[in-house]
Amino acid sequence: MYDVGLKPPMLRNLIRQHLPSGNHPLNLNASCFELPKLVSILQTHRLLSESDSHSVDPKLINAWKSAVDDWLSCLLSLLSSDMSDKCWVGICLLGVTCQECSNQRFLTSYSVWLDKLLSHIQPPSDSQLVKIASCTSLSDLLTRLARFPEVKKDANSLAGKLIQPVLKLLNEDKVEAVWEGAASLLYALITLFPASIHHSYDKVEAAIASKILSGIYSDITLKKIGYCLALLPKSKGDKDSWSLMMQKFLISINDHLNEAFQGVEEEAKSNEARRLLVTPGKDLPPPLGGHTSLEGGSFNGTSSERLPTATISTLIFCCCKMLTSSYPVQVTAPVRSILALVERLLRVDGSLPHTMLPFMTSVQQELICSELPVLHACSLELLIAIIKGMRRQLLPHSAYIVRVITRYFKRCALPELRIKLYSIVRMLLLSMGVGMAIYLAPDVIDNAFNDLNSLGGEDFEISPANTGPALPQPSNRKRKHGTKTGSLEENQVGAHPKVGESNTHQMTPITVKIAALDSLELLLTVGAASKSDSWRSSIDNLVIRTAINSCKRGWGNVENNVFLPHESASAWADFQLSSLRTLLASFLAPARVRPPHLSQGLELFRRGKQEAGTKLAQFCGYALFALEVLIHPRALPLDDFYSADGVSNRFSENTYTDSQKQNTLFFSVAQTTEQGAIKSHDDLYNKWLQNEVENENIADENMKDKTSRPNDSSLGNVLEVSEQEPAAADADVHMRNEDEIVVQPRRIEEPIPKSQEIVSANAVTSPPAVGTNLEGGEIESQTALSACDRLNDTDHDMLSGVDKVDFNTIGGKTSSTLPNAEKGSSSMAHLESESSMDSFPDIVDADPDTDTDCESI
Amino acid sequence: MNVVIASSSIDGGIGCWDLQTGAEQLRYKTCVSPPHGLASIGCRFLACSQLRDPSATSGHVLYWSWSKPQALVKSFPAEPIKPLAANTEGSYIVGGGSSGDIYFWEVATGRLLKKWHAHYRAVTCLVFSEDDSLLISGSEDGCVRVWSLFMIFDDVRQQQASHLYEYSFTEHTLRVTDIVMGYGGGNAVIVSASEDRTCKVWSLSRGRLLRNVLFPSIIDAITIDPGEHVFYAGSRDGKIYIAALNAESSPTNNYGLHIIGSLTDQSKPVTCLAYSAEGNLLLSGSEDGMIRVWDVKTKNIIRMFRRSKGPVNNILIVKLPYSLSRAESKVQASSRRHEISLQPPLEKYANSSDEDLDNKAIITLPDMIDLPSYLSSQLINDHIKQLQQQGSSAAAEMEVKRLKHDGQRSMEMFQQLKKVYDNLQEFCVNELLNGQPMEGSKGN
Repeated sequence: MYDVGLKPPMLRNLIRQHLPSGNHPLNLNASCFELPKLVSILQTHRLLSESDSHSVDPKLINAWKSAVDDWLSCLLSLLSSDMSDKCWVGICLLGVTCQECSNQRFLTSYSVWLDKLLSHIQPPSDSQLVKIASCTSLSDLLTRLARFPEVKKDANSLAGKLIQPVLKLLNEDKVEAVWEGAASLLYALITLFPASIHHSYDKVEAAIASKILSGIYSDITLKKIGYCLALLPKSKGDKDSWSLMMQKFLISINDHLNEAFQGVEEEAKSNEARRLLVTPGKDLPPPLGGHTSLEGGSFNGTSSERLPTATISTLIFCCCKMLTSSYPVQVTAPVRSILALVERLLRVDGSLPHTMLPFMTSVQQELICSELPVLHACSLELLIAIIKGMRRQLLPHSAYIVRVITRYFKRCALPELRIKLYSIVRMLLLSMGVGMAIYLAPDVIDNAFNDLNSLGGEDFEISPANTGPALPQPSNRKRKHGTKTGSLEENQVGAHPKVGESNTHQMTPITVKIAALDSLELLLTVGAASKSDSWRSSIDNLVIRTAINSCKRGWGNVENNVFLPHESASAWADFQLSSLRTLLASFLAPARVRPPHLSQGLELFRRGKQEAGTKLAQFCGYALFALEVLIHPRALPLDDFYSADGVSNRFSENTYTDSQKQNTLFFSVAQTTEQGAIKSHDDLYNKWLQNEVENENIADENMKDKTSRPNDSSLGNVLEVSEQEPAAADADVHMRNEDEIVVQPRRIEEPIPKSQEIVSANAVTSPPAVGTNLEGGEIESQTALSACDRLNDTDHDMLSGVDKVDFNTIGGKTSSTLPNAEKGSSSMAHLESESSMDSFPDIVDADPDTDTDCESI
Repeated sequence: MNVVIASSSIDGGIGCWDLQTGAEQLRYKTCVSPPHGLASIGCRFLACSQLRDPSATSGHVLYWSWSKPQALVKSFPAEPIKPLAANTEGSYIVGGGSSGDIYFWEVATGRLLKKWHAHYRAVTCLVFSEDDSLLISGSEDGCVRVWSLFMIFDDVRQQQASHLYEYSFTEHTLRVTDIVMGYGGGNAVIVSASEDRTCKVWSLSRGRLLRNVLFPSIIDAITIDPGEHVFYAGSRDGKIYIAALNAESSPTNNYGLHIIGSLTDQSKPVTCLAYSAEGNLLLSGSEDGMIRVWDVKTKNIIRMFRRSKGPVNNILIVKLPYSLSRAESKVQASSRRHEISLQPPLEKYANSSDEDLDNKAIITLPDMIDLPSYLSSQLINDHIKQLQQQGSSAAAEMEVKRLKHDGQRSMEMFQQLKKVYDNLQEFCVNELLNGQPMEGSKGN
């Protein structure tokens, strides 16, 4: 198999077996149908490459060369055969040869091949298969040719020869399939040899435009040739031709829409759209392809029976491609008119404005309504394209886009369109960031709520708790602003009476749910930190509920069911994956309290992880890994940040040795106190949990424990503090109790075991070396202080205000100004009244130190 | 290639050094920059606001391309602009005016897209958030404000809202000297320094003060450790203080609460700082005209750059575009997309008379490579499929049936014809047989 010596004989064997020889008539079944196999053998063994990295045996090379010579002569004889089927085989294989043969051979013979192939797309040939195959082989030849910059000039002139025949094919041939072939060749020409097209620019435009405007061909063909038209400006490569082409597209779309929307849209709209397109006082550009679009097209007479949907959607497709393909220079995009076009399309929903009623027949209205989904989908595509194309520069228009989107979201009910809308929302969130998320959040949440709460697809086993929130609730938004626990209960209570009436109208397809979940996930990752108080808890509830429901029935399996079409089999698994992903996002997104459903979520992830071999298991594994950081938060210093403390060597040679010394020293310390290090980690853990524990008696307990500890040289300090603290803590707890009744009960059970842990940890960590490690490696720091630290950490939040007061004292010492002090105290009041947990514990944590510190100083 | 770029308040040009090798690059001429006035526009070119005379009622903004020492474009904004910032893509420039207005320009067209009154006194520093969606501004009146750019451009929402900013932090009592923003999008922290000798740490997610750090001297420059363990504060007493963010700070230190240590070189006041994540280097610019490169692990100076004269007041670390950092021989290849001379100057007023431009935007289309691939083998498969469909077994079966039917009919036809023939023959034979005798009889 890997023996190079075998390759030439293999090739000869293939020639003998598979290629029809000159005089036999071709037996279609025998040789044609084995062509794919032949090609795959050629490609896997690289039989035409004529070179091998391992062997330079001249004999072998000669043998191989002559075998390839034979192969080619065989192909060329096939090409010149009169039988079209033989010809077809030869052309196809020549295309493969262009791709596979060695550089040298390609360079010596490409012009011959090109001529041979060219003759087959010119008039005398008749078979369409031959024409298509020659177009494809030619485009392969060009693709290969473009890789040799040294023959660029020659290649350009050769490519120029192809233009006329291609145009002829487009203009005169009657078969759609041939156009597709011609389009693929044209595409290769435009992208690889743009200069060659330059002279026939207008003719190409006219040829393609007439096809698109006639609008009677299949979608795929139109898209292919439309793509060529969109890329056409590249052949000129300047700013103006891009803008001109874009403007022509837009005007043409506009004209078609005027025609199509007669009667369902007020006249003013179309005029306004027109005004944006053509600046008053400037000349109208020549119409697309030289045709005046409406007169030249064939639909004009038949407009009452058929809408020019195909034409419009192809033209919009062209605009999309123009906006997202690369272009050599910066271009001026008519953003406003494109957006106006999008809005105009989305605004028409087939209902009649009152003034128009008498002029429309119901047939016309039905006609429009049947075509509208396609047009709406197109316009959303256009919106996507413009977001992609403009990137950050969309900023001045972002508000407008958001308004269009949110307005349309309210009315849009078709699943495919909703999915597209969600994807636009995701693009906006991702590209516009936090600043956008703050304002887009309410709409995303409203829609996601409705979509996720409605009955849908397969989670249809009705358990009351499940269907509870299922009915579309107009009161959703209000409720979100209500108390946190209230919403949950309300949902469940309100559920029972309505279980029976799960009517099919409210079913949301599972794909829409997936899109909604994905959007929620992104919203949580981007915007959860900012101004999310109003919606956060309800979203968390929704997400965990969806995740639990999605996983209740067991795990979706992609591979098992061979009878279902692939999409519907994988939809369920995708839904589960999306719901778990969103769940992870809701856990990880910044919040002030521990995610309320953490344990349930962890359970889900653990179960999911056991489904070995699925994507879901892979994700669950990742989720568990990511959540570990949530549970054991860490703020890591730069590697051995303090090791070289106090060393003031100036240049690196010295530094190197010194820091090494320091390193080893540090490590030895670290090793001896390894036990301590682990404990100190636990300490961090406790600290985090204590954020949630604002309980008077814990504070007291801690005091007692700490004050009664032996060997505590700073006992005096501690006592001093402990006198102060209960009072402060009291006040604090009172405030909290008023504000957070809801959360309080859940916490009560936690503190007591924790506090014991703390005590034990402290007991162990009290030996000297450990404290130093915790303090960030300040080796000479005192144990006493570390004790103080811990004491105060327990109720840092309470003291965060004291911090300010503290500054006043310092400020006084250092002769700072009075206003400063005033500010401090006011901000203290401010902080205290805000009864939230601190998600920034480490910063505030340290505050209490100062307290004791200052006292002691 | 990462280069260090430094400008000064005294005309000595903009110095440019390779951070790795220390080799000096091109020196860009004639630049007198206020603090925070130097910005790299999407790494494509340099922009710097100019303020030759502090009391002047006008200033200007200059652009330099990487490859030429002379300033190429000169713009004259409506009032003196001090701080200048650009978003990462380099599509927008914002400038802070001495009246407290913030100017928002589009780079590609030079148009002044927005101007809004942000502060009561002059704007001193401007920072874009990590995702470019927020803008943070500091002012001489001690106020730090956070703006959502989305809101700035949404006229409808603005009318409903009571104020334009997202947050307004007013705890500083004196001029804000520097602002940096940490990592984490909406959950990031903002650190601001002020002449009231404090640095304050703010939470963006909650819009409130998290920590207040009082320093022994006024802090003019801050920069944040990428791991947000600490931040560095360059002070007027010549020291760079290290203050704790996530780090534990021990209460017994020499400088004050939360200040963990310092980097010191007995120098003149530190005026600007920059952090290079590559190699964890801290760069500090000082009034003595030196730029010191510190290794923050060891707290040692590992390199010094000297500007010719005058205090340094801006340092940037810029990753030069690849095409530029290679040998300059390929200038013409890189020139097409990064042509600086095409950049129009920034406009003075927003009331552009050309409404047409309002509706359009100059964009650089995404640079996606979309080349044709080889199609022949795919085509063979497609065509074979077509051919096979014509001759597929199901079709063949039907064909056979049809043929059988045809055969049967032909058979019947044959039988019929045969019958006719037989009849005819019989008739003829009879005729013959009958006729012969008749003839014979006649003949007879």
